[in-house]
Amino acid sequence: MKKMIGPASLFFLLLVLSGLLPGRSAPAGNNYLIGLAVIIQVICLTNLFWNKNKAKVQACSDVAALVMAFLWLWDLFTGRLEILNKFLYPAPGNILKLFTSEFPVMLKGLFNSIQLLAGGYILALLIAIPLALIIGWRGRLYLAVKPLTKVLGPIPPIVYIPYAIAILPTFKASSVFVIFIGAFWPVFINTLNGVFNIEKKIIDTARMLNVKEMPMLFQVILPGALPSIITGATIGLVFSFILLTAAEMIGATSGIGWYVKYFSDFADYPRVIVGIIFMGFVVTVITYFFDRAESYLLRWRR
Amino acid sequence: MTKIILRNLTFSYKDQNGEYTVLKEINLSVAEGEFISIIGPSGCGKSTLISLFAGLLFPSSGSILLDGREIIGTGHDRGVVFQHYSLFPWMSARKNLVFGLKQVKKGSSRKEIEQIADTYLELVGLENFKDHYPSQLSGGMQQRVAIARALAMGPDILLMDEPFGAVDTKNRLALQELLLKLWEDGKKTTTVVFVTHDIDEAILLADRIIVMSSGSGTIKKEITVPFTRPRDKSQLFRTSPYAELRNRLVGLFYDDLLEEREDEIVF
Repeated sequence: MKKMIGPASLFFLLLVLSGLLPGRSAPAGNNYLIGLAVIIQVICLTNLFWNKNKAKVQACSDVAALVMAFLWLWDLFTGRLEILNKFLYPAPGNILKLFTSEFPVMLKGLFNSIQLLAGGYILALLIAIPLALIIGWRGRLYLAVKPLTKVLGPIPPIVYIPYAIAILPTFKASSVFVIFIGAFWPVFINTLNGVFNIEKKIIDTARMLNVKEMPMLFQVILPGALPSIITGATIGLVFSFILLTAAEMIGATSGIGWYVKYFSDFADYPRVIVGIIFMGFVVTVITYFFDRAESYLLRWRR
Repeated sequence: MTKIILRNLTFSYKDQNGEYTVLKEINLSVAEGEFISIIGPSGCGKSTLISLFAGLLFPSSGSILLDGREIIGTGHDRGVVFQHYSLFPWMSARKNLVFGLKQVKKGSSRKEIEQIADTYLELVGLENFKDHYPSQLSGGMQQRVAIARALAMGPDILLMDEPFGAVDTKNRLALQELLLKLWEDGKKTTTVVFVTHDIDEAILLADRIIVMSSGSGTIKKEITVPFTRPRDKSQLFRTSPYAELRNRLVGLFYDDLLEEREDEIVF
């Protein structure tokens, strides 16, 4: 019982108590807020009793404490004390309620966004990786291309958006193109570096085994450069997200970036916040699967 | 029959600070099935010599002949075990062997190749570690896999560049015995060139020891090891011929270093 007393439980109680007090947010919103607090607390307690790893339990309940403290302060300044402008700063309970009701709409928009993201990003991986493998492996090509990457790589991809929209027939094509450019350079440059930095002993060993060109590229150089490629792919993914949202805010008629931009034009800030939170969730989920893929691909490292 | 002939072999390289001669006018011949050890202090060019045998480097002048033909690059007739574990870290022990074998045995089925790989892993006592990645194996185990891979390819010449240098003493003894056993099981048809800076290791393993001198890149002395095989290390180490040979080698090994030190004092 003693181990249940901690900052997490303290903020849980504060959050529930202030949720029960009368305030500005709608009663339904209050229920959502209390509901969320209960869910977080239940997760915390299950962890406390079922997880043997003490450090993880500690971290989990500390994260819960921070989240609930933030929610409580947010609620206090918006829903209860009405210090902040109610138009610009909606109460958390109302946001939660709106989030659940808007969820299907946003999911549909997300489907469009993911198409653009996956299109541009996967295209970038498919072109940048093999190209960089071949160029990195050929000393002469590498020396020729390296200075070019230093000039072209640092151009912020956002500047391509207006031109891409002008030269490409559809919004979809120009978004995919811009996301492609954004993801291409980090993947390409990191793959080049990865190939260049493969240990000499690995290459010598492969040469001693008389490995031919194709297996050399794809069974020796590719896995040897993989840690660096994945670093590039991670940066590329982040760029893709930024460019996706930017492109959607400029020219789309659906998607999650469009959602936020559209409702901010109507000064519907609760929906803007809901959109931002939703974006956070999406990024978290994608990053989670990305990390899983990474640890699978690099499982041979300790 | 003579397997390897070095004729006035010189190797030098240039960088911004000048030209360096690593090996100078070396003449040597190695018989088929002979086990030679090359010893010398670090920087004497013994690893360069291995790279030249391997075909990873080429002589600046002079020539290296294998079976009477000049070396034009790497080849399946030579296998190498480097000091630093040279396994592909993203392949399991077995996959390392299979990948190597695939490059040689183009016609064989996957099953045949896997069978050969398993046989050799068993030979080095790693049948229970087949699916481990190199990072999950100890240094000694990794080196056993590297030896298994080199031998599985069936090379005529096995080149070893301080293969046990990074392995602890106990494992090193076991690996030396394993190497001798595998070589003797193969009816001693494989020619072995074994680079080391460990004098005991050289005496235990080799038919002949080539002592390189430090700095000048030349062969200082060739000494034939008189002990019969199979050699029992625990017995051998106590005999007086062993002690004599060892003392002689230690002398050859260190008088160079002493000379160098005197030079420093003069300067």
